[in-house]
Amino acid sequence: MLLDAVHMEFSPRYHHTADMLLEEQMIIESAKQNPEHFGAIYDKYYKPIFGYIYQRMDCKETAFDLTAQVFLKALTNLEKYEYKGVPFASWLYRIAHSELMQLFRTQKNLRTVNADIGDLKHICEEAEEEYMEQYKGSLMTVIKQLPEEQLQLIELRFFEKRPFKEIAEIMDLTETNAKVKLSRILERVKILLTKTSK
Amino acid sequence: MEPKFNLNRQPVSDEEINSKKDFGELIKQFKKQSIEKARTDENFFKNKKVTYSTIIAGVAVLCTVTYFAVFNQESSKKIAHEKTITKPLNSKPVLGNKSYISPPVSKLNIPYSTYRVKTQKGATIIHNNSSKIIIPKHAFLDKKGNDIVGDVEIKYREFHNQADIIVSGIPMTYDSAGVQSHFESAGMIDIKGYQNNEPVYIKPDKKITVEFISEQTADKYNMYFLDTISKNWAYIKRDNSLIQYKKELENKNASLTHQLTNLNTQNIFELEKQIKEIPQKLEQAKNDYSQKINQLPKITSPNKLAQATEGKPKFELDVDYKEFPELAVFKHAVFEVGAENKNYNPKVGDITWSSAEISQGPVKGKNYELTLKLKDKVEKLIVYPVLTGTNYEKALKVYESKFNEYQKLILKRETEELRLKNEFETKQATYKNQEKQLSDRLVKEKIKQAQQKEIKLDKDFKELGTLDKVTRIFEISKFGIYNSDCTNQLPQNATLHAFFITNKEKIHLKTQAVYLICHSKNLVYHLPNGPIPYNPGEVYSICVLANNKLYMCDKGTFATVIASHTNKILLTELDNIQDAFELKKAIGI
Repeated sequence: MLLDAVHMEFSPRYHHTADMLLEEQMIIESAKQNPEHFGAIYDKYYKPIFGYIYQRMDCKETAFDLTAQVFLKALTNLEKYEYKGVPFASWLYRIAHSELMQLFRTQKNLRTVNADIGDLKHICEEAEEEYMEQYKGSLMTVIKQLPEEQLQLIELRFFEKRPFKEIAEIMDLTETNAKVKLSRILERVKILLTKTSK
Repeated sequence: MEPKFNLNRQPVSDEEINSKKDFGELIKQFKKQSIEKARTDENFFKNKKVTYSTIIAGVAVLCTVTYFAVFNQESSKKIAHEKTITKPLNSKPVLGNKSYISPPVSKLNIPYSTYRVKTQKGATIIHNNSSKIIIPKHAFLDKKGNDIVGDVEIKYREFHNQADIIVSGIPMTYDSAGVQSHFESAGMIDIKGYQNNEPVYIKPDKKITVEFISEQTADKYNMYFLDTISKNWAYIKRDNSLIQYKKELENKNASLTHQLTNLNTQNIFELEKQIKEIPQKLEQAKNDYSQKINQLPKITSPNKLAQATEGKPKFELDVDYKEFPELAVFKHAVFEVGAENKNYNPKVGDITWSSAEISQGPVKGKNYELTLKLKDKVEKLIVYPVLTGTNYEKALKVYESKFNEYQKLILKRETEELRLKNEFETKQATYKNQEKQLSDRLVKEKIKQAQQKEIKLDKDFKELGTLDKVTRIFEISKFGIYNSDCTNQLPQNATLHAFFITNKEKIHLKTQAVYLICHSKNLVYHLPNGPIPYNPGEVYSICVLANNKLYMCDKGTFATVIASHTNKILLTELDNIQDAFELKKAIGI
């Protein structure tokens, strides 16, 4: 597996230096006293959170509503938020994930998987399988059939191109754990793909 | 149920995402939720169990209090007495109710200048060598409405710029029919009057006039009085000071322009007059020259004597030389019949004519007409004076001598004529040169005048546009705070969810007040806690009050914050400033 060697886009929106983390923490502490100060956080993370939600559904309006809901929940529960040395975004992603799951429990048909053809090729490369056009349908079927947590990992890694550190923080895993889990998923994909192709 | 799989779906644009961002709505929802939560909590206390628990707890507290009241009565009384005497008379509870005029840092506030005025005489006070406070005689009343005699203390201060506004703590928002706006100031004054530390009042017919020297020269301001009871500014009138000033300036300019025009016209008129005189002078010189030439002695050439032709008929005549002086040289001359007398009859010479008269002939000085008469017979002949024999030789000698003399005279005359001609030509050239010079000067003078007019117009224009200072007239009918301001709305084009931290300790500052200082206008927005509105392209700096200290984000730093799309604003503590002037320097205005 070449998981570490694959170049992944660096996300400055998510990744923070120590100073950036401190600054963000100060904003949050300030927003706990005055919700108006939450504006800086809202400005910073609105687009990524919307992107995360919309990646998993087709309805744009629902995605926008859900984004608003995520921030309202975050602001309402801000008192409970505790700094754990990771960007505040990971907390927001977890709220977003929770909101999505809640929605999909009642409206399963809203769940969609969105990818580019390049992303599928990337999965094949990672699974050490040569990508062929006829694999496309099978690969899509295999991915759709994955359990939610595994699908989530595939989405975060290959469709959203997030580094393991970020994936680990969003999914509340260790980085190594995230790598191991994804490696297993890829093995499973490879097997399923071989079976489906036959 | 398997999820749907989309390949290569169209992404959502940033514009669309940003258009859905609404932090205001989020806050609204949050507040709504908080209120609902508070109501739910309130209902919690209406719950029977909670009510009973509260009653039991209340009874327990009451018992405890009674116990202490009974057993500690002595000490309690003592404390009550101390409280009574430490509490100031007529004091109002001020906790949580900030004063309407609240200077952020009292030591920086603009101090009052105090002037003592004799009410019987009135006074004209010159404040800081600029503004003038004109107080009429007998202008004050006491609180009972009685005339005040003796000295009155006038306390006066002025506010000119954003720094003065910030340190004064004077509210600069104006509520007009529920619409709140922010004052852009042309200047404010604060004037008070006291006698023996008691406030005095201004008689209605004895208004105090303040000629305030304002650094803001635009003509867009209104005058307001700060009503500290209703906690709003009260509109007085439009500030027409500049209109008045412009009128004065226009009059002054009109007078100056008139003087300038007069001066220039005078020069031009003088030059034109001199130029007009040149042809006349030329004509005069020409006349003088002609006259002088005419005045030169007339020189006539001596008549050359003709020798008699043998065989031609001749007449001897007794000539009156007075009548024909030219014939004087022809003494002993005879008159020879000319060849033009074609029909001359030689018999004419044989007749004894009763009269013979001569007159000038066809060639003046050369020949003559001889008229011979005898009764009815008249004979007319053209004759030439001629000499014969020795007479001719003698006459020739005389002629030659006269001819020499004539030639000398001719030479002399020619010399004199040449001198006069030269004299005339020199004069003519001088006048022509003069005319050219004057014409050149006239052209230059006209150009100069045009340029002067242009410069003057330009200066006038600039003077109107870039006046340094303007006198604004406040009519004071009651003591208090007056301003000459115009209203502005908060910037609306962009907002910044600012997060303030100190540049030294890097700690987050909980702000007491945020002042957004507009550098293109004399304007300070006193903002509530929350996002900072701004218009991209405008120059701003920020002053913040936190921990009862002032902090500053200068215009350069603020521009960088905006450009870098960050929310973090680094503030510098203004710990060294001692007054508004130093704050002004720190702001960079």
